Amino acid sequence: MKKAFLLFSLVWTALVGAVETGEIRMLLEDLALERVEDQEATLQILADSGDEYVTAFVDAWRVGEIREYEPEGSELILIQAVSGKYVRVATGEVIQISNAVYESLEKNRAPRQLRRLLTRVTDTIGLASKDVNTRVDAALKLGASQDPEYLPELRKRFEVERNGTAKKAFEESIMISLLANAETQEELIEAIARLGELHSIRAKDKILAIVDSAKEAGDEALLAAAQKASQEIADHEELLKHAGSFFRGLSTGSVLLMVSFGLAITFGLMGIINMAHGEFIAIGGYTCFVVQGYFSDWFGEGSAAFQWFFWVSIPVSFLVAGGIGFLLEKGFFRFLYKRPLESLLATWGLSMVMRQAFRLKFGAANVQVANPDLLLGNFEYAGISMSYARLFAIAFAGFVCVLTWLLLTKTNLGLYIRAVMQNRNMASSLGIPVSRVNSMTFAFGCGLAAMAGAVLTQIGNVGPTMGQAYIVDSFMVVVVGGVGNLLGAGISAMGIGVFDQFLQPLLGPVMGKIIVLGVIILFLQWKPGGIFPTKSRSMDD
Amino acid sequence: MKEVKKLTLGLASAAALFSSSLLAQDTVKVGVLHSLSGTMAISETSLRDILLFTFDEINASGGVLGKMIEPVVVDGASDWPTFAEKAEQLLAQDKVAATFGCWTSVSRKFVLPVYEKYNGLLFYPVQYEGEEMSPNIFYTAEAVNQQAIPAVDFLLEEGYTKFYLIGTDYVYPQTTNLVLFEYLKSKGIPEENIGGGLRKENGEVISAGKYTPFSHTDYQQIVADIKSFAAGGDAAVLNTINGDSNVSFFKEIAASGLTADDCPIVSYSLSEDEFRSLPTADLVGHLGCWTYFMSLDTPANEKFVENFQEWLKTKAPSSVQKEGRVTCSPMVLSYDGVYLWKAAVEAAGTFDVDAVNAELEKGISFDGPGGTVTTQENRHLTKNVYIGEILEDGQFEILESFEDVYGEPFLKGTF
Repeated sequence: MKKAFLLFSLVWTALVGAVETGEIRMLLEDLALERVEDQEATLQILADSGDEYVTAFVDAWRVGEIREYEPEGSELILIQAVSGKYVRVATGEVIQISNAVYESLEKNRAPRQLRRLLTRVTDTIGLASKDVNTRVDAALKLGASQDPEYLPELRKRFEVERNGTAKKAFEESIMISLLANAETQEELIEAIARLGELHSIRAKDKILAIVDSAKEAGDEALLAAAQKASQEIADHEELLKHAGSFFRGLSTGSVLLMVSFGLAITFGLMGIINMAHGEFIAIGGYTCFVVQGYFSDWFGEGSAAFQWFFWVSIPVSFLVAGGIGFLLEKGFFRFLYKRPLESLLATWGLSMVMRQAFRLKFGAANVQVANPDLLLGNFEYAGISMSYARLFAIAFAGFVCVLTWLLLTKTNLGLYIRAVMQNRNMASSLGIPVSRVNSMTFAFGCGLAAMAGAVLTQIGNVGPTMGQAYIVDSFMVVVVGGVGNLLGAGISAMGIGVFDQFLQPLLGPVMGKIIVLGVIILFLQWKPGGIFPTKSRSMDD
Repeated sequence: MKEVKKLTLGLASAAALFSSSLLAQDTVKVGVLHSLSGTMAISETSLRDILLFTFDEINASGGVLGKMIEPVVVDGASDWPTFAEKAEQLLAQDKVAATFGCWTSVSRKFVLPVYEKYNGLLFYPVQYEGEEMSPNIFYTAEAVNQQAIPAVDFLLEEGYTKFYLIGTDYVYPQTTNLVLFEYLKSKGIPEENIGGGLRKENGEVISAGKYTPFSHTDYQQIVADIKSFAAGGDAAVLNTINGDSNVSFFKEIAASGLTADDCPIVSYSLSEDEFRSLPTADLVGHLGCWTYFMSLDTPANEKFVENFQEWLKTKAPSSVQKEGRVTCSPMVLSYDGVYLWKAAVEAAGTFDVDAVNAELEKGISFDGPGGTVTTQENRHLTKNVYIGEILEDGQFEILESFEDVYGEPFLKGTF
């Protein structure tokens, strides 16, 4: 056993030795500083090396993280920042310079042409990557290029690949490449048929082109195969579109749910027409921005702790907006409970004041909130992809529902809230502290709005007018759901979301939205109380 | 002796009074008509700032025809009827010699009849859709063939064969995309390779591309569509989305895993100034096309940027934001416009609109920060066009430049 291991490690070093990372580093520095004579040959060496440092270098190069440095009495060298240290590209040795010096150095940039050539190099290297996604990406790109040069390598990788997803990607790219490089008619037809079975959307255009050329050439067998395959792919694409629309509808619905749940409480339960609801959402967005600023000051943006800013900012925004809501209830909203018309105007004014306050404090331009690494990228299953940020929004909407349900049904405060909402005077005479319950309920509603705002920073922009984009939707959801009914708000948010996303591909976003609003108007004509109208024996209702 | 001293003092003060009153008379009123509040304020406030800077610069070197420029700044408030109202105020009440203003094409369409009624003169600085040539507007703006078309040419040259059109639903994107649609077809791109959808009426294409309303935030469906459109490779997106929506759009694109290498996006309404409120990390590698970039490495541009920063620090009024300011094409075209107007006035020897118009149409050149610009008979500008790639610091790296491109406003049906 030990012997086998020794043998293995020997072979391993021999293999790695053939590549010589040091030499590759040297070549990269020369390439970037335009010191190589034969660019093509250099690229070939880089591609053959399979060294993953090439990919890392190219990535850093693209975003300006490679700097030119000329130490006294020495020639120009390249420096890269690697986890807080500055490393010379050619040798990997650490160079002792200060932050300020590094920042003042000239960025070395890859010319666009060279970078496009380099993507081939990095893709070739990516075929052997340890990361499945990188392998899949690389294979598909090389396949799509239909360059016969890559066929043998793709075939070799296909044979040894163990991972199912990657194996499928290798097969797909081989077949796509064969569309242009098949040696015999049979091979071509076979590739077409296989691509049809694989539902390869990537191959669709190429197969359609074959349909056209086969028609012209009068090649019956080829035409039949190509038509069958393109039909299979088109059917699959249609299916994906509908399934995708459903999931995207859920995501849109959960955004609607998040932004409107706070309003379902302040407007639905308490009856305040709060036109400043959108600005409480914006408070959440700005809180997230401020927390990000603190984290960046405390830990630095590259650090692992910085990643926590987003998760911390969610409860913080709840507290901040809750606090502001509490104070505003005490000093402002309290006087509007029995005057709905005045409350419409007064809160509209409040919304303008708040927007202007954001402008004065943070400027008229939007502010940027980073995405924590965890929420970057997307999740893909069976051809339907959804970004992690949106998945998180769906989960968060669920969390908000559960939280509210628990509060209303399992706590004393919830009991008080329900009592006060049903009959304010009766509750008061039973000894419930009505004014405190009002403040707490309003604060809770504002807090929910702000948490939604914090989550929205991941999918939209944060600016003084951010709340305006959601205020109409929020009222729409609450009214359709039935004022005063949280379950109704949930159902209406999801319903509107899915309906909207199904209409969009058919009618476009503008027409789709108009139809949604039109249907809502008709629905409210039919059921003025919404999905779940509030039943009441009170004479006022 | 004492008497004499008193006399001289009196004389001196009288002279000072006289000269100051003379100074007050020796000004020429010029209108600045931009949105300083509302959704467009983010972009348009910068144009007001650069105009104030230009006026100060000209006044410091002696003014126009010996008269100091006195700006009359009004706020269009991102509301189109307000633009028309303010234009009327500038022309009828303040009697301005010229106006510099407007950003969106809608606002220009609203003020156009006002300028024609009062025979005023408006300099319009922002890239637009063309199909217009009023005798009372001078278009320093990029015409479609000075922005949209060179960018498409660049992509065609790089080997892209599929184009997805997307924009905000109003006159500029709709018209530009129709022109682009015709242009792409003339270049041999088949209809099915132009994405975003077509709307036909009586067999004629009346709208090409996908459109979203202003401040749209949900781009999931469109990005999914783009992703499947680009799956076969060699696809690019031509983006005429305006304003805030770009944030949601680019965040969705970034999350979908589409990179600038797979499918580059050319954005026609995003310049350095807009990048200040966009997540630039998501934009790296995508493209832009303008007649000026702040990164232009010329002495003229260096001096211009330096003077503007200096002005911000020393002379700018307190309402002007001082930190993190950049320059961009609409700003430079506003700047060029003022100098072209000055040259035309000086050539005509009068502020009379008809005389100035005649001079402008004769062809006046000005060496601006983006290179030499020359006025044309059709009231547009000949200028250089640059294509750039967006860098992580919100600047462009210039990839290609076309010199002295003639501005051609009427392109529909010419390919």
